[in-house]
Amino acid sequence: MRPIEIRLPSDTSVLEPLQLIIEAVGKSAEVEEDDLSLLSVAVVELAKNAMEHGNENDPEKIVTISFDIFPNRIRFHIDDEGSWEPEKALGFNPGEGEELLLTRGRGVLIARNLAKWVEFGLTPEGKTRVTLIWPLT
Amino acid sequence: MNIKQQMKGDVLVIALSGKVIGGPELMEVKSVFQKAVDQENNKVLLDLGKVSWMDSSGLGVIVSGHTTLSRAGGALRILNATKKIHELFIITKLITIFETFTDEQEALNSFGE
Repeated sequence: MRPIEIRLPSDTSVLEPLQLIIEAVGKSAEVEEDDLSLLSVAVVELAKNAMEHGNENDPEKIVTISFDIFPNRIRFHIDDEGSWEPEKALGFNPGEGEELLLTRGRGVLIARNLAKWVEFGLTPEGKTRVTLIWPLT
Repeated sequence: MNIKQQMKGDVLVIALSGKVIGGPELMEVKSVFQKAVDQENNKVLLDLGKVSWMDSSGLGVIVSGHTTLSRAGGALRILNATKKIHELFIITKLITIFETFTDEQEALNSFGE
């Protein structure tokens, strides 16, 4: 089966609908009820990063979220229209030292901890792609 | 998201409810902290018990509130963080900055210590 795609403008007003969609996806894959909101937090964090760093919050630019449900995992791809360098754009560890008091920059840290697997790469067209794996028990 | 405010003694209790998700609404929370300082209500207890969903944007605003209040000589403490929100505090190590409580009276008393 081909992955299912969700296409979103880079506009924070779509984050709440996205949260609901991702929880519905999780529910259909039998993610435990207690974990649904953690799944949606992880995906929404990465979608926000794609909007900001990849698409510069330009509502005309699209973030594409696609997902495949496998027997033991859900795989999400979060693609934007940029080719940003994650380590440059997110070039600090938000969980250490004085950076603890920064008001931003925690999204990837949270997503990585909740999802267990988050990897930055490129689409075949050279745009930024984040892959998130959510294990199913 | 809804915001309710109530003075309890000399502590301003701010209760958030609903989803704390990125967007313009968060600026409202930020301005509540600033207004508290402007009105010299520097002791603030943030009740998160009715927050159903929160992400890093919400944490960022809470950190901003902490900084605003600390600079004014006050403090921001957290009440009733749900298990999931508490997990976000642990992941981001913000748990090392904030005092968190599950009992309101205990939280209110802590400001006098």
